[in-house]
Amino acid sequence: MATIIWTTIGAILTLSVYSFLYKDNPFYKFAEHLVVGISAGYYLVIYYFNFIQPNVVAPVFLLRIGNEAIGLGSSMWWLALIPGILGLLLYTRFFPKFGWVGRWSLGIYVGGYAGLGLSPIMQARVLNQIGANALPLTSITNVFLIVGLLGTLTYFFFSMKHKGVLGVLARVGIVFLMVGFGASFGYTVMSRVSLLIGRVSFLLHDWLHLI
Amino acid sequence: MNIFERFMNIDRRWIFLAIGIAVVIPFFFPLGLPISVTEPVQNLYDALDAIPPNGQPLLLAIDYAPATLPELEPMSLALLRHAFRNDVNVAVLTLHPAGYGLAERALNKVAEEMGQVYGEDYCFLGFRPGISAVILGMGVNIVNVFPEDAYGTPLNDIPMMDGIRNYDDIPLLISLAGWGAAEAWVLYAHQPYGQRVGAGVTAVMATDFYPFLDTGQLIGLLGGMRGAAEYEELIDHPDEGVRGMDSQSSVHILIIALIVLGNIAYFGARRKRRQMEREAA
Amino acid sequence: MRRVFHILLVLLALIAPAAGSLEALEATPIIEETEPVLLDVVPPGPPCSLTVRDYLENSDFGDKIEIEWGLSPDDGSGACDVTGYILSRALAEGEVGEVLDEISSGVTRYIDESVEPGVEYYYNLVSHDGTSPSGRVWAGPTAGRANLFQWSRFSVLVLMVVFFAMVARFTAVAGKGAKLFVRRIPGLNAIEEAVGRATEMGRPVLYVPGIGEIDNIMTIASLNILSHVAKITARYDTPLIVPTARAVVMSAAEEVVKQAYTEVGNPDAYNPDNIRYLSDAQFAFAGAVNGIMLREKPAANLYMGAFWAESLLLAETGFEAGAIQVAGTAMVSQLPFFVTACDFTLMGEELYAASAYLSREPKLLGGLKGSDWMKVVSIALIAAGIIARAVGLESFVAWFQTQ
Repeated sequence: MATIIWTTIGAILTLSVYSFLYKDNPFYKFAEHLVVGISAGYYLVIYYFNFIQPNVVAPVFLLRIGNEAIGLGSSMWWLALIPGILGLLLYTRFFPKFGWVGRWSLGIYVGGYAGLGLSPIMQARVLNQIGANALPLTSITNVFLIVGLLGTLTYFFFSMKHKGVLGVLARVGIVFLMVGFGASFGYTVMSRVSLLIGRVSFLLHDWLHLI
Repeated sequence: MNIFERFMNIDRRWIFLAIGIAVVIPFFFPLGLPISVTEPVQNLYDALDAIPPNGQPLLLAIDYAPATLPELEPMSLALLRHAFRNDVNVAVLTLHPAGYGLAERALNKVAEEMGQVYGEDYCFLGFRPGISAVILGMGVNIVNVFPEDAYGTPLNDIPMMDGIRNYDDIPLLISLAGWGAAEAWVLYAHQPYGQRVGAGVTAVMATDFYPFLDTGQLIGLLGGMRGAAEYEELIDHPDEGVRGMDSQSSVHILIIALIVLGNIAYFGARRKRRQMEREAA
Repeated sequence: MRRVFHILLVLLALIAPAAGSLEALEATPIIEETEPVLLDVVPPGPPCSLTVRDYLENSDFGDKIEIEWGLSPDDGSGACDVTGYILSRALAEGEVGEVLDEISSGVTRYIDESVEPGVEYYYNLVSHDGTSPSGRVWAGPTAGRANLFQWSRFSVLVLMVVFFAMVARFTAVAGKGAKLFVRRIPGLNAIEEAVGRATEMGRPVLYVPGIGEIDNIMTIASLNILSHVAKITARYDTPLIVPTARAVVMSAAEEVVKQAYTEVGNPDAYNPDNIRYLSDAQFAFAGAVNGIMLREKPAANLYMGAFWAESLLLAETGFEAGAIQVAGTAMVSQLPFFVTACDFTLMGEELYAASAYLSREPKLLGGLKGSDWMKVVSIALIAAGIIARAVGLESFVAWFQTQ
């Protein structure tokens, strides 16, 4: 019984959202606001119990799992205070006079994440790709790949005017880019249609049991 | 207004309706079009198939949110069915807060269907925010990041996680994501630690991942509902993915037809306009 | 001859039972033999030494310990009956602990790869001849420590140093006021034409700085372009509407536009009501911007910054409304939609280039020039790699593949 009620609520909300295709209406607005409100509440709970509770509250207030303090060793509990305080500092932006304090936390956060990403991105996105593209020019596919790569890189070269050889290469680059966009557009259409199929399947299969 | 111009200015709601019909009809009258398996999907299947049973677990990161559910949930169901059928242990986690409920839903469904025991055959670690920090932290020790599972049991007390310390003990990791998480696993688990990573992503993102396949940074890739359907074919358990494929094909045919018609109408209208301009001159 | 020797040994053992060899007799044979052989009760000589140390080659994470030993005197010489060694590891001194591995004879080195970094271990080793083990040799404690430098990723360091050096150098040069050449981006002309047409038609210009936060580099680039657009609208006295999805972006946009109007000398034309905060929610924002397009009918729509799924909703409504549209974003997945629905699109890095070109900000110019020359370095390395592959220098290419 409970399943039928929940599925029906889901179905009504799905239909409310799709009613936007005809035109904007109160059903659509209701569904939209419901999503925004529920997700805010849901995220709050998930973040608290999966993050703040085990990583800050538990070690600081010495809640324990078994015999071990959560995450850090019991003697290192105070380490959890540092990110906890930095996190609280972000709320200083509510007080214009002290708002600047929050920038410290933001600075550490942005700097830390940029640092974490630097080396892996250099490896994954630059070095490994250079290695993978050093292909023997023995097949048409490989030649095609190298020409496309060269053209695209040239198109995004801003230190010289696109004239002569550079101009030709840049033109080749733009052709490759457009072909790439076409492929990605096709995939996107497929993605969006899948979402529709998923909802239709929900309505026909899970709700109405027609298929 | 001639026929070309009328077509160019058609009320788009007619197109919505046509697409709706094209999706619904194949559900009632399946076309049964064949589904061929592509190489990246086959590779992922082979990698999972090669994991020895009842030993080191497959780590499945269910990183998707409801918005990409129809594309990615069939993948998690198919992967879980494959793993459980081979008696491969599975540890599930999520990097997306909205993935928490969805991961539980997929896991419970398949575990119940295939009679798997929590803690021995599978476990759910829950959600942690902070993507790169979480992934890097697990490379040192999983317990540091997930001291307990999603239900508060210390990880050390879960039998299947006994002796599982970090990526050295994970034969394969698969991330299913509709956003940057799948790439983050490549960047922060494969690059520094050499973890073997596979991914399942939405079709929108699939093109972005091909460079990683070429370099071997990704073992295999499932792209969109089509990828899920291929995997369902491989494990011989057709479900949502395969069921959606006929609708997908019929909509694609409709869209191709609309693109062709749109182009004919565009060039037709342009020719007519030029003709009229010439006559006026 | 050997067999006779063995039989003699057995007889000897039977008449002079020693405690150690009795134990060996009772012990289960370590290696099962298919052919029944006479029991060899005289154990081989133990390994003559055992040393353990942290593994240092190939830059590990401290999860490996290297174990080396000297061969038993009966391995390959002497009685010549050693069939292998058994290596065990314990956490406390004097304990035998768990068996790590059985190693064949003639080998003198083993790498333990199942080590917890920083934990001290004790190792012990025995040789055996298939039936009887020798006495134990002990070593330890030792712990695995992570290497300070990972040589397998030296290429990452080299390329990073090159890149940062170039960016720092160009930034310094630009800071000193030297003119660095950046080619004019065609999209900038398109922006000016669009604003010009809005002026002719007496209708407003709509500038959407994306839905990224202020810390997003695309939003910052967008604000630089906004400053340029605001200067043109200030000059022509054309209304400029800037809807935003983030409160901080709104206050930054206010500053930028106000400053631009003042610089051009038309501060009275600045209308703070046109810089609007709409909603943080993606689709609510998109819906509200669509509303502006339909109600206030801007003649030029400029979308510059970070966009996600709302990109097509915005660009399509603008297209339907008949506005000239110029977009710019580095969100690759959204580019196809902008390219299809807009009259001109600044693709990827062009957005940053346009921003650097217009603002002449040394940091932006330095970054742009640095990444420009990084592309040249990449092309050169790929070319070198192709040549290296052709002449069989695979190690050069392998140097890049860090995993």
